[in-house]
Amino acid sequence: MSKLNETDIQGFVLRGYNLPFARHLFVHFEDTAKARPFIFRIIPEITTGQHWDNGKPDSTVNIAFTHRGLIALDLPAATLISFPVEFQQSMKDRAAILGDTGRNDPQYWDEVWRDDRIHAWIGINAVSADALDKRSAELLAMMQETGGATPLDSQDAAALVIDGQITTKEHFGFTDGFGNPDYLGFQRDSQPGQGKLTPEGTWAPLATGELLLGYADEAGELPIAPVPHLLASNGTFMVYRKLHQNLATFRSYLDTQAALYAGGKEKLAAKLLGRWRDGTPIELSPDHPDQAITQDPNRNTNFTYAADSEGTRCPIGAHVRRVNPRDAFGFQGRLINRRRITRRGLPYGTVVPEGQPVSDTDDRGVIFIALNASLSRQFEFVQQQWINYGNDARLGNDKDAIMGSHGGEGRFVVQGDTTPTNPPFVCSHLPNFVELRGGDYFFLPSITALGMIGLELVDPR
Amino acid sequence: MGNQNGKLYGLTFLSPIIDDEKATPSHDLQIRAYLATLPTDERSPFALAPGTHLCRLVVMDDVIYVGSPACEEHLKSKYLIFETNCDADPTSYLTGLATSIPQQLDAVWSHCIGYPGATNLQAYLDYMKACQLETTFFFAAVNDKSLPESLRALQTQRAVADFVANHQGLPPAQLQSEFKQFLAELNSCPVPRAGIMAPVRDIKTGGRNE
Amino acid sequence: MSNINGKVYAMNCVTPMKPWKTPILRLVFFLLWHIKSKQQDLINLSFIEFARWVIIPRTSFPFLANGQRKDELKYDYLLFFSNFNGTWNQYIDAFSAVLSTGLNLIWRWSEKFPGAIPVTLFKQYIANCQFDTDYYYTAYPYATANDLKAAHIVQASLDQLSQHADGTPEQFAAAYLQFMIQVQSHLGNTGAAPLVC
Repeated sequence: MSKLNETDIQGFVLRGYNLPFARHLFVHFEDTAKARPFIFRIIPEITTGQHWDNGKPDSTVNIAFTHRGLIALDLPAATLISFPVEFQQSMKDRAAILGDTGRNDPQYWDEVWRDDRIHAWIGINAVSADALDKRSAELLAMMQETGGATPLDSQDAAALVIDGQITTKEHFGFTDGFGNPDYLGFQRDSQPGQGKLTPEGTWAPLATGELLLGYADEAGELPIAPVPHLLASNGTFMVYRKLHQNLATFRSYLDTQAALYAGGKEKLAAKLLGRWRDGTPIELSPDHPDQAITQDPNRNTNFTYAADSEGTRCPIGAHVRRVNPRDAFGFQGRLINRRRITRRGLPYGTVVPEGQPVSDTDDRGVIFIALNASLSRQFEFVQQQWINYGNDARLGNDKDAIMGSHGGEGRFVVQGDTTPTNPPFVCSHLPNFVELRGGDYFFLPSITALGMIGLELVDPR
Repeated sequence: MGNQNGKLYGLTFLSPIIDDEKATPSHDLQIRAYLATLPTDERSPFALAPGTHLCRLVVMDDVIYVGSPACEEHLKSKYLIFETNCDADPTSYLTGLATSIPQQLDAVWSHCIGYPGATNLQAYLDYMKACQLETTFFFAAVNDKSLPESLRALQTQRAVADFVANHQGLPPAQLQSEFKQFLAELNSCPVPRAGIMAPVRDIKTGGRNE
Repeated sequence: MSNINGKVYAMNCVTPMKPWKTPILRLVFFLLWHIKSKQQDLINLSFIEFARWVIIPRTSFPFLANGQRKDELKYDYLLFFSNFNGTWNQYIDAFSAVLSTGLNLIWRWSEKFPGAIPVTLFKQYIANCQFDTDYYYTAYPYATANDLKAAHIVQASLDQLSQHADGTPEQFAAAYLQFMIQVQSHLGNTGAAPLVC
C-alpha cells in the first residue's frame, strides 16, 4: 500500500491526542461567499497528522462538516448526492434505524441538535483550560473578522480528575480508552488485540480503507466514497453523540443488584462492561482486577473468547464483547473486521465520588466520537445490530446493558457456573443508564479537500 | 437430496399465469393486487392451514438480462412462484391447503392456466404436480422440529426466561413449589398461534417483581 | 416492504446459465449435500432459516397447454430463494467475507457473475438479478434461526428438569442450578426486528 501522507490527513484521525481538555464548537454558515474564505483561512490552523518532534502542542484544531454544511458551502450537486445516503439524511433522521427511540428520541435532544442548523464542527483539544480558552478565543475572533461562521453552541469535555490525577475514567467509574483498532500504515504503537485476527492466531493491522477513504479496505477494493476522489481521499466520516449519563440511577441499580449477586458489586460491574473498573479485561482475569495486566500494553487488550463460548468469564452480552466480538462469531473473526470503529471522546460534567449525593439531572456524560470509512457499515451497524439488538450474539432482542435504550424493561444475563462466587444471575428491569442528547454525522476532510472547498475547486468529474 | 431436509420439506411450484390481453387489469396484476391485501400475520391463510413454517408467493414477470455478451431472451408467460418450507410431503401438505383454505387458493390460482379449483382434490393435486419443480438443494437451519414443536418451544423459552429472572435467591422449597406450579401452567397452555407477531404471554410466573 | 416479515427477509434471484454448465452445478450441489463438512460454514453463519436452489432446465418451465405459448429458451435458469435474518447488506457482506469460495462454486456457472469478492460488484450483480416478493408469510416473525435454536435447547432442558421436579428441595435446587447453566446463554427476548428504513 502507499505510504500515508500524514500532512494531508487531519491529526484527529491518525491519533488520539491524549490532551485532557476539549471544546466542541458548532457553527453555521450564513453566507457562502464569506464561509469559503473562512475555511481557507482556517486551514493553517488545522492540526495535521504530522509528527510532533518538538513535543505536543498546547492546543490542536480540527474541522468537519455536516451534509447541510457542504450544501451551504455550495459544493456541486453531483458531489453532494454522491455522499452516502445516511450522511445526507443526518443522524436525527436515522433515529428509528439506530434505535434512538424512547428516551433517546430526538424530541428530548438539546435544542441545538434539533434545529438542523449545524453546518460544521470545530474541535479544539488542549493541554490546559487556559490553552483551551486562548485557542478558542482566537478562532472565534477569526469567525467574527471574516463573518464566515456563526457559533451556535459550544460543548466542553475534559478528562476526569480523581484524587488530583488526570484519569481515563468515565462517570460510571469504568476506565476507558482501550481497543482502538490498528490500521496499516499508521505510525502508532500497535498493541496485540487491537487489529484483526490472523489464521495463525496473531494480530495484524486492519486495512487502511476501513478508516480512511481512498485506500484499500478489508473487502479488497477502494471503499465507496463521494466524488471526486481528491475530495474524499484522506478523509473519513465522524459520528458525534452527546451521551448523558444517569449516574444516580446507575449507582443505585448496581447497589440493588449487587446485594443479590454472590460475586459482589465490583464483579457485577465488571460483568456488565467486560472489564473491571480499573480496566482489567474480565476475560483474562475473571475473579479480580489485575494491574499487571492492565498496565501491560501487550496484555491489556490481547484476548479472544474462544475458550469462553459459554460466557462464564465474560458474559456474552457484556459491552466490550458486544461491540468487538473478536472471534466469538467464528470464522476467525472475519465477520468483525469491517465493523470496527475508532473512538475519540472525553467525558463532560463534574466528578462525584462514590457515596456522595448525585442526581440524574446533573449535566454529565460522555462526548462519544467515532471515526469510520462507512457510517452505515460500521457505526450504524454496531449501534443497530449489536447494541440495541442481540441476534448475532444469540441473545435475541436483548440490548447492551449499559448503552441500550431499555425503557425499564431490559434484561442482562450473567452467565455463570457452579462456583459460588460466579453463579448464573439475571439483572431485570434495566433502566436507561445512558440517554442520547444530540449529535450528527460529519465528513472530516483532508487538508487538500479543505483547500478545494475553500477555493471552490470541487469538480465532481 | 432435493425436496427434503430432515423432517422439513422445501416445495417449489411454478404456475404459468393466464395471458389474456382482454383482461383489465391483466391476470398477473390481479394476483398482485389480491396478495397486497392478503394478511401475512395470524390471519394469513397459511396460518389457518397446517404445516407451513415459511412460504412466499412471487409473480415472476420474466427472466433477467445480465448484459452483453449474454443473450437477451424472454419468457412467453409470467409465472406464479410458490415457495414453501413445510412439515409434510407434497400430497399431505397440499391436501391440507385444499381442505382448509380453498377460497384463498382459488382467489390466487384462478388466474393461472389450467387451474381446476381446490374443491376437486385429485384434480388440484394433479395440477400442482404438473407445476412442481424439483428443488435442487434445500437448506434448513432447524430441520428436525415440526411447526407446533417450534411454536411451543418459543413459548417455553419466553416463559422460562421470565421464570428464571423472577426466582433468584429463593429457598429451595419455595423454588421447587413455584416451579411445579409454573410447569403445570405452561403445560396447560395451548400451542401459540402461527404467524402472530408478538405472542401473548398469559403465564404469570410469580416470584419477585412480577 | 413485502420482502420482509418480522425478522426474516425473502430474497429471490434468477440467473441464466449456458446449458452445458448445468451438469457441473448439479455435481457441485451433489457434493455439497453429501459432504456434510462443506455445509458446516453455512450452518455456522446461523442467520439463514431456509434456503434453496432450483435449477430449471430450458425445456422444463411448466407447460400446461390450454393456450399457453411454449417457451423456447437458450439458457437454463438457476433460481435462488433465501429466508434470512438481518439486513440485505449484512447478509451479502457476511457471505462475501467468509463463504466466497462456496458462493463462487455455485454461481460462477451463471452468466456474467463477477465473483463474491470484492463485495461492491457482487452486490450490484445480486441487485440486478433479484426480484421482489409479493407475499411473504412466516409462522414465527418474532424469532430468528438463532432464537429457534435457543428455544429448542430451552425446551429440551426444561423437559429434563421436569423429571427432577419431585425430588427433595435440595436435589431440586442442584438440578435447577444445572438447568440454569444449560439455558443461561439462550434466554434472549424475542420480538420485533430492528427497523431498516
